[in-house]
This record gives sequence, structure tokens and C-alpha cells, in this order.
Amino acid sequence: MLAEIGVFTTAFALLTALYAVGAALWGERRAHAGGREAFTVSARNAVILTFLLLLAGSGSLLAALYTEEYQIAYVWSVTNPQMPMFYRLTALWGSQAGSLLFWTLLMSAFSAAAVTLNWRSHRRLMPYAIIYMMAAVAFFAALVLFVENPFDRWWILPDASADLQVVKAALIPAGAEAPSAARLAETASGLNPMLRHFGMAIHPPMLYLGFVGFVIPFAFAMSALASGDLSSSWIKASRRWALIAWLFLSLGLILGGRWAYDVLGWGGYWGWDPVENAAFLPWLVGTAFLHSIMIQEKRGMLKTWNMFLVIFTFSAVIFGTFATRSGLVDSVHSFARSEIGFPMFGFWFLLTLSAVALILWRRSRGELRDERHFGGILSRESLFVLNNFVFVALTIAIFWGSFGAPIISELVMNTNITLGAEYFKSVTPPLFILMYILMGVAPLSAWGVASMPRLGRALLLPVLLTLATLALFVADGTTHLGALFGYGIVLLAGWVALIETVRGVLARQKAHREPVYVSLLSLFARNPRRYGGYLIHLGITVIGIGVIGSTLFQQETQQTLSVGESLSIDGYSLRFDELLAGQISDDGRLMDIALVTVLRDGVEIARLRPRRDFFPQTEGMNTMTIAGAHSTLENDFYVLLVEWEPINQNSATFKVYINPLINLVWWGSILLIFGTLAAGWKHEVLPARLRQEMRAEEGAAAPTGRLARKGAQ
Amino acid sequence: MRLAAAVGLIVLFFVLQGLAARVVVAQDAETPATPVVTDDQVNAVAKTLYCPVCENITLDTCGTAACADWRYEIRLQLESGRTIEAIREDFVRRFGDRVVGTPLDPVLRALSLALPYAAAVLGLAAAVFVVIRLTRRMDRSAMRPAAGTVAEGAPRADYADQLERDLAGDRP
Repeated sequence: MLAEIGVFTTAFALLTALYAVGAALWGERRAHAGGREAFTVSARNAVILTFLLLLAGSGSLLAALYTEEYQIAYVWSVTNPQMPMFYRLTALWGSQAGSLLFWTLLMSAFSAAAVTLNWRSHRRLMPYAIIYMMAAVAFFAALVLFVENPFDRWWILPDASADLQVVKAALIPAGAEAPSAARLAETASGLNPMLRHFGMAIHPPMLYLGFVGFVIPFAFAMSALASGDLSSSWIKASRRWALIAWLFLSLGLILGGRWAYDVLGWGGYWGWDPVENAAFLPWLVGTAFLHSIMIQEKRGMLKTWNMFLVIFTFSAVIFGTFATRSGLVDSVHSFARSEIGFPMFGFWFLLTLSAVALILWRRSRGELRDERHFGGILSRESLFVLNNFVFVALTIAIFWGSFGAPIISELVMNTNITLGAEYFKSVTPPLFILMYILMGVAPLSAWGVASMPRLGRALLLPVLLTLATLALFVADGTTHLGALFGYGIVLLAGWVALIETVRGVLARQKAHREPVYVSLLSLFARNPRRYGGYLIHLGITVIGIGVIGSTLFQQETQQTLSVGESLSIDGYSLRFDELLAGQISDDGRLMDIALVTVLRDGVEIARLRPRRDFFPQTEGMNTMTIAGAHSTLENDFYVLLVEWEPINQNSATFKVYINPLINLVWWGSILLIFGTLAAGWKHEVLPARLRQEMRAEEGAAAPTGRLARKGAQ
Repeated sequence: MRLAAAVGLIVLFFVLQGLAARVVVAQDAETPATPVVTDDQVNAVAKTLYCPVCENITLDTCGTAACADWRYEIRLQLESGRTIEAIREDFVRRFGDRVVGTPLDPVLRALSLALPYAAAVLGLAAAVFVVIRLTRRMDRSAMRPAAGTVAEGAPRADYADQLERDLAGDRP
């Protein structure tokens, strides 16, 4: 029953999405002819109905996972009776078919939210925005139904030949019988062990929200191009959506890094794996877009460029999805390989080509002409252009390493190559250095015109504070010149963000004679975008310090110890106390746990339990290495159980990492998230009293004019 | 007679002992002691090589039995005195360029590493060119600082007013 509900609701969702496309198109044509908006309104309702239908479809799959309906092939492949309820539910996105359904649901949720929240403020853009959003939703719903159906069930055809007796189909084939429920439960595979981790339970939804969220800015941009409303209206409509998508994408990347650090057992958080990079690419282009739209809003410039950026952000999302789910480039995430490659490639190609063609057409008609010119090479808009260059160059370099070089070498030179961490660590640092320099300098430059003497004066205090901080680093024993250079560049960006915020607080304090915290809150409340942005810069600074410290000063050793023996590394000792082999967990996994004591200068500071988990019922990748870690702000003492003697359990091999400053990566990420939340906070520019007065004047009429425009921002 | 036999046996014992010692010494001279290779030395090489059959996993972290065998092979090669470069070349010869993070083949290496730099330089040149070109076309009105910015040489006291205007959203 649940499978039927799922299939029919998804099929109806596909139909309503297609209807929304048609109705919006027809509504737009009628509106041009001076007709009523009934069809556009109907299209909006179809968008909301599509979301509700997909919600019902996903709900039925979730119910099937909850009630252990193993006849549904997807449930059978990602759960088993031993799995805890939590992981049974998160298995919704544990494999290809379910994750595609979930992806489609989230995209329709964003679409429904956008048409609801932007309906009154950006009505002109709505018809075409609906067309593009729903076309994307319809494509993914079709993929779910016709290529990767999570509601397919196992059937037995008793009259068929032996090798054709077991088939998968959503609806019952003629003469088919359902297999025995007990047999299905016995043979159920269970979730990939790598995904049985709390980080993996929330990392994919965050990442998907980030990915699909960019469909809204994309749709508004395409709507502006298609409708010819090329004012900054589409920017106003899409800025907050872009920020929301960027926030989720950032969260997804951070949680993915944390998951890798905890579960993959290699002592790091970023391996330059193609799947990680596929998520990083839209983040980079999206970051460029979020900076670049400020220039269009404030100066009416870079109109064509912004269109390209928003379109390539979504294009990068679709390409990354295509590349990683189709098995185009091998990676540890290859669980998601399937037959969706060609349809997804076609969708990506058409989407990108049509969008670029539309931009070029509008540009050729002179409709994307900038309203102002650059004021000078040091003006803020010029520095933002350089910032955009850096982000795009990073995107190209990472794209080339992850996808370009491996694919081209195979196609053209008939050889397989891997561009690994070696490549990325040699190509990306100069660009990251440039990015941090611009983060430090650009906020001090003025819009329009800026000169070197003024910029130099503004930079004086941050530079002095940076040098003072570096002196502290040197006093603490850091003598590595490369590291000091890196810290200096990163710190400059942080000090500028901090000084600009403090300067604002002091100015308000002086003017209003209010306490510091009131001034600070007022700044954030009244210009959340600017001060949220500074908080994001501060977060990126803290992350940068963590990345430099943990990359340049990481230490590691691997040694085999007998019980009671110790190994030493960087002032720490690790003593092997005991091995608890073959411990059985509630979910059926076998755990081999080492009990170790960590000492620093002879004093015990922690007892850790690094372990290896083995999942006997799972085929393929069925072990997981869980590190034991002692975390401080200074560093992580991170230990892995590599091997052990299975018979007398007297000796074991440990791999120990000292990861300096690594926790700054996580703390900086938290700052970044808070900064993004602040930057996206809806703020009322006019005081409450004035707004009330204006409302009273306007009576019950819909808000128009300045108030409406401000409210829509 | 008995004494002579005893002395003879003792002499024979020492002669045989000496011969045995010479044989052992000779054997030791032919097979020098195997150098001790630590796990850290093996991992230092394994870290630079990718598993030939897995996907984007370096040999030092790969948990499969095949990778354990390759790590053992690295150990044997290190024990035999081979350098890191020689071991990497050996793996590339057997499994192709996909086992190293950047190809050893000069053409592939140049293609992989130089192209992004070339693209970046071209991109930077294009960005600078665009900015300079557009700056030259700047009209006189743009010479005035935009509203919402601190003007060149503006007194510091104006900062508070400027901030208030910014916060009030009085920007272009």
C-alpha cells in the first residue's frame, strides 16, 4: 500500500509540476495580452500542490522504512532488522533512489516557499520563475519515477525461467507473487556502515538544501532574462534565497568535513575528493555571486557578470550531481552510481546552454548595459571584481583537478590520471592568499573612488595589529616563515573585520551614549548585511588559522605496542592498556576496542577508546575506523587502531596524529554560520513608528512604494 | 696414548670451531643485516600513492587486504634500499599514472599543473584589462565619491554621520 501511495503521489507531482510550467507560460502570454492572471495563480497553486504531493510520497517511503517493508527494494537495500530506528529513518537519503526523491522534495519545498513569500513583492517575475523552478522539479520527479524508483518492489514470477523469476517493479506484474517477508528480512542489506554516523544523518540534508536552494536565484535570474525585467528586481528577489542556500551549503561542507574527520580515519577533514570538490564548486561561485550582486545593487554594474555567476552556480550544482552520481569520476562516494548519467548530462547541458544563450541575446540588445563605470583600480567595486576573479579561478582550478584533467586524459590520451591532494596543495594556495588579501583590503576601500594614500592610512592599524599578533606567534615558538606569512595574510582580514565593527560600535556609542552591547546589537539589527558579513570574514579568518596550523604542523607516527608499552610524539605519550576484541553492539556490529591512556609530560590527561567496527551482514565496505581524540583549542591528540593481534590480543598497531589548531576550523565555522544568519536577517529600515504611520495612511491596501520595496529586501 | 688422543680431539675441536666461525663470518659478509624500516617510513611513501583498485584513497589509509599487501611491498622495497622516487616509478609503471597525485609523465604533468596557472594568469589579465578599460571611460560624475562612502580626505568626525546614513539605508 505504501509503495502504491508513493508511486501515485510522485506521478501526480510530476503532472502538477508540468501543469505549473504550462499554466505559468499561458498565464504570462495572457497577461501580455491584457488578460486576467487566473492561469498564473493556478500555476502558483500547482507549485504548492506539487510540494504537498512529494511530501506525501516521501512520507510513504519514510513510513515504509519505519515499518520495515522489505518488499520495497529500496527499504531492503538500506535497512535491516538490527538497525536502530534513527538510522532506519535517515536511510531515506542513504542511497541513490531515496536521496533523489528527497532532493526533489526539497527543491519543491524551496519553490513553494519562494512563490508564497515573493508572490506580492515580485509578481512580475513569478510566471517565468515558476516555469524554471517547476521544469527542474519535473525533471527530477521524472528521474525518480522512470529511472531510480524508490518504490520498486521485489516480485517472484513462478512461471518464468529460473534466472528471470525475481523482478523489481513498482506495480504488481501479471502472475507475480510477493516473496516471503521473513526471507526478505533475513537477507536485507542494511545501510552502508560509513553512513551510520550522526554527522552523516544531517550532512546530506544540509548539502541538498544548499544545492537545491540555488534553484530559486537561478529561476529569478532566468525570469528576468525571459521577461525582460532586467532591473535589480531579480537581485532583490533572489539575494536572501542565495544566502539561505549558501548557508546550507556551508553547513553541509562543514558537517561533511567533520564526518570525514570522525569516520574516515585518516586524520584530516578535507581530502580533495571529487565529491567534496563537487560541493565546493557551487559554494565558490555562489560566494562570488553574493559579493558581486552588491555592486549591481549599489552601482548598477556587472549585470551580465551577475547573470553568468548565478547561472553557473546552479549549473555547477547540476554538473556536480551528475558527475558524482553517474560514476563519471570514481570516488569513495561511488555508492550513488546508476543509470541517471545520460539524462542528467542532457539536463545540465540544455540548462546551461539555454541560459547562456538568453544572456547573450539580452546583451546583444544592449539590455544588460552597466549604469556606471569603474571609479578607479582601488575602488571597492574594482577590488570586488578581483575577488570574483579569485573565486572563479579557484573554481576552474578545482574543476580541472577533479573532473577536467581526469576526463580529458581518458578521452584524449587514453590514460587514467588522478589529481590528488598534491595537485590541489600546489595550485590553490596562491589563490587563497589573494582571496585573504582582498578580504582584508576591500572592506576599507570606498565605493566609486579610492586612492592609495587613503587606503594606506586605513590599513595602518590592521597591519600594526597583525604584526603584533605575529610577534606573539613568534614568541610562542612559531618560526616557520611560510606559516608566519600565511597567518599574517589571514589575520589582516580578521583584524579589518574586527576593527570596522569596533569602529562602528564606538561611533554609535559616542552619538547615542548607549552601552557597548546595545551599540553592537543596534549595528547588527540595522545593517545586518554589513556586520553579518564582517562576522563571516572573522569566521573565515579563524578557519584559515586552523587550516594553516593543522596542515603545516601536523605530526604523525605509527607503531606497534604490546600491552603496557608506550609510544611518544611531540611531548605526548600513548600507553596501550588493553584490547577488548569482539564486542557486540545492539545493531549487530562487532567492535574491537583498544583502551589507551594519553599522558603529557608524564601526567595522565585522557583515556581514549579508538576502535574498529565490523558489520558482518554487510557486503563490500563493511568496516569503519572510529578514532579516539582528545581535543583542546591547542590541538587534537587523534589515535586510530590500525591492526591488532587477534589470538592473544597482546599487541596492537596505533596511528597517532597531533593536529595543531584543528578545532579552530570548527569554531570558525560556527562564527561563519552565525554571520550568515545575521547577514540574511530580515531588517526593517524604517523605524516601527514611521512604518505604522505609513500603514495607517495606506489603509488596508497592499503595501506599495517604498515600504513594499524595503520590506521585500 | 690416551693423552695424545685427548689433545688431538681438542685440537680438532678448535680447528673445526675456527672453520665454522669463518664460514659464519663469510656468510655474514655476503648477506648484510637487513635495515629496519619503520611503519612511518612505509606510510611516508604510501601517503604519496593512490590505491590502484580503490577510489581516491591513498595507500596509507586504505583498509583493504590488497592495500596491506602493497604497503608490505613498499616495506620490502625500502628494505632493499630503493628510494621513494624509484618506488613511485615502479608503481606507475605497473598500474599507470592514476596511482600518483600528479602524473609523473612529463606531458601529463605539464598539462595538469600548468593549465590552471595559465588560465588564472589569463583570467587575471582579462579582469585587470576590463577594470582599466572601464575606468578610462569613467565619466566626470563618477569622480565624486558615491553616497554611502567616506569621501577622500573627509574629516574623521563625519564618520558617525556617515554610519548613521548607512544604517538608515540611505544608499544609492
